[in-house]
Amino acid sequence: MKLFLKSLVLIFGLIIVATFSFAAEIKIGVAEALTGPIAKYGVPIRNGFTLAAEEINAAGGINGNKINLIIEDEQGKKEEAINVFKKFIFQDKVLAIFGPTLSNSAFAADPVANASKTVVFGTSNTAEGITAIGTYVFRNSIAEADILPAVVKTSKNKLGLKKVAIMYGNDDSFTKSGYDVFKKAVDAEGLQIVATETFAKGDIDYSAQLTKIKSLKPDAIVCSALVEEAANIVLQARKLGIPESVNFIGGNGFNSPKLAEIAGKAAEGVISGSPWFLADPNAKNQAFVKAYKAKFSSDPDQFAAQAYDALYIMSEALKKIKLTGSIDSDRDVLRDELAKVKNYNGVGGKFSFDANRDAEQKGRVLIIKNGKFTVYSE
Amino acid sequence: MPELITSFWQTYNTLFYTVFVHGMLALSIYITLSCGQLSLGNAAFMGIGAYTAALLTMKAGAPFGISLIAGGFLPAVVALIIGIPTLRLSGVYLAMATLGFGEVVRVVILNMEITGGSLGLNGVPLKTELWHLILVMGILIYFFIKLRNSRFGRILEAINEDEVAASVMGIRATYYKVWAFAIGAFIAGVAGGLNAHFTFFISPREYGFEPAVDILTFAVLGGTRTLWGPLAGSTILTILPELFRFLGPYRLALNGIILVLVVLYLPNGIVNRDTFTNLKRFFKKEENA
Repeated sequence: MKLFLKSLVLIFGLIIVATFSFAAEIKIGVAEALTGPIAKYGVPIRNGFTLAAEEINAAGGINGNKINLIIEDEQGKKEEAINVFKKFIFQDKVLAIFGPTLSNSAFAADPVANASKTVVFGTSNTAEGITAIGTYVFRNSIAEADILPAVVKTSKNKLGLKKVAIMYGNDDSFTKSGYDVFKKAVDAEGLQIVATETFAKGDIDYSAQLTKIKSLKPDAIVCSALVEEAANIVLQARKLGIPESVNFIGGNGFNSPKLAEIAGKAAEGVISGSPWFLADPNAKNQAFVKAYKAKFSSDPDQFAAQAYDALYIMSEALKKIKLTGSIDSDRDVLRDELAKVKNYNGVGGKFSFDANRDAEQKGRVLIIKNGKFTVYSE
Repeated sequence: MPELITSFWQTYNTLFYTVFVHGMLALSIYITLSCGQLSLGNAAFMGIGAYTAALLTMKAGAPFGISLIAGGFLPAVVALIIGIPTLRLSGVYLAMATLGFGEVVRVVILNMEITGGSLGLNGVPLKTELWHLILVMGILIYFFIKLRNSRFGRILEAINEDEVAASVMGIRATYYKVWAFAIGAFIAGVAGGLNAHFTFFISPREYGFEPAVDILTFAVLGGTRTLWGPLAGSTILTILPELFRFLGPYRLALNGIILVLVVLYLPNGIVNRDTFTNLKRFFKKEENA
């Protein structure tokens, strides 16, 4: 009986200590696809967040408050994303939410957060109209519309392009919206389109499309594809004898380090655009890449970098507010302060939110040389 | 206490809604299974229903009830058209044909202008309420209970037991199979319409191969001999992953393990025809002892 009483006291003691130490913490929900086919995007994102949170907490937290990330798997499914968001908002009572991984899930889950006046911050949602969901929706992922026109323009000026062929995956929202932007940009630049070819996710043979393109002799091939398909297309194009002077101009899928890994020499001269790239020499990025590699024993990708930056951007806003403990008013104050973040210097360069809470960040046009991304033009 | 209940409901209402929708989908495949047909086209029918209903409310401003009914009718009509040639097939061949049909639907939705293609349909208004789901589910349960002892229900059972024997008795097997198929499509379409109006967004990805298999799994896990089987199966498979969230990435493995165990030890599903009599016998024995 004595032992029982003793352990009871001990347990109560622990609970009291626990509540006290938890009192000074900032709860932030992270909803990403950690299992299933989308996990290859979701896992690096989670890694970026955990790395940033550890760094911030190791440096004393924000105004003395530690960040407590609550990480949940949303499987890349819309219902799951809604479930996770609701758990965060109503049960965990988080201050803000990061995620979800896909734009599709964001269209389903972000309205939930917006309706309950909770900040939701997307780091990988690039589709048009995400922030139009409501005033509580933010993102730091740069939309295709902001970067691809610059890629097309730079390539045209540097290579003297006149006519191009376009290839895109038409069954994926990411590659389809990339195509829409490319099409507009190509038209705006007055380039002639000799052919528009499509393919589907999981295709492995592109010889029909590429043979046709080869016969039309374009100056460049504009391509919107995810990295697996992109690598395959580039490889097969060179195998079919499309000369290296015909550069590939790629969308978001082409700025992954995996492209050079899979396609090897064939990836030389591929032009793409991104605010961030692995070999970026700025000190902040180098430190991030090193820390990420040490912790997760792999190179970070663009999504990890954007997640890492996102938590720092959030902490910029958190530094300026005094948490009252009343979750509703704290969420409101955070929203207002977050919208004011300007000129934050992150691993992806200078960052601000524009009036629509979208990313205002300069993208860079990159080219693969000797298997590495280098800046083609600022 | 009331605050606890509100926060619980706020957190989990979508989950409950999903339980209802999955239950309807499970019933939609149950009716074709109950005449021995393995159809994997229900996810596609759900997709047609979801897009029809969502487009009607969004573009034409139709009342929710009308959208839902149209969302049920269109897939049913499609089912009638494709059912007549395909339902001459049986077993694996029918499964393959309906799977192919599902793929056709997905690709058509993908390439149409009005559906938004691969970008999906964004901004579907929130219309579904709990009472809609309870009402539809109530009607379905009533229908299936009545069906069991009706002429149509007995014919389906006869076809299931032995199609040749049933034909010899003068039953036009294909005719009734097509009707069962169309009713299943109607139910799946309404479920799709209901689902679209509480998830804000639909895209072709949600109506492909994977959900088709999920729907079949609901029914098989629960048992396909009574109407309670598919309902039990879908409820369990929908709630479990949420219940085991604390297991992190392994929770889906747990789903798989449960599935294997059920197939091994309860080959007729969780609820089968003998479940109730067995339960009764079990309790009687207790009393005697």
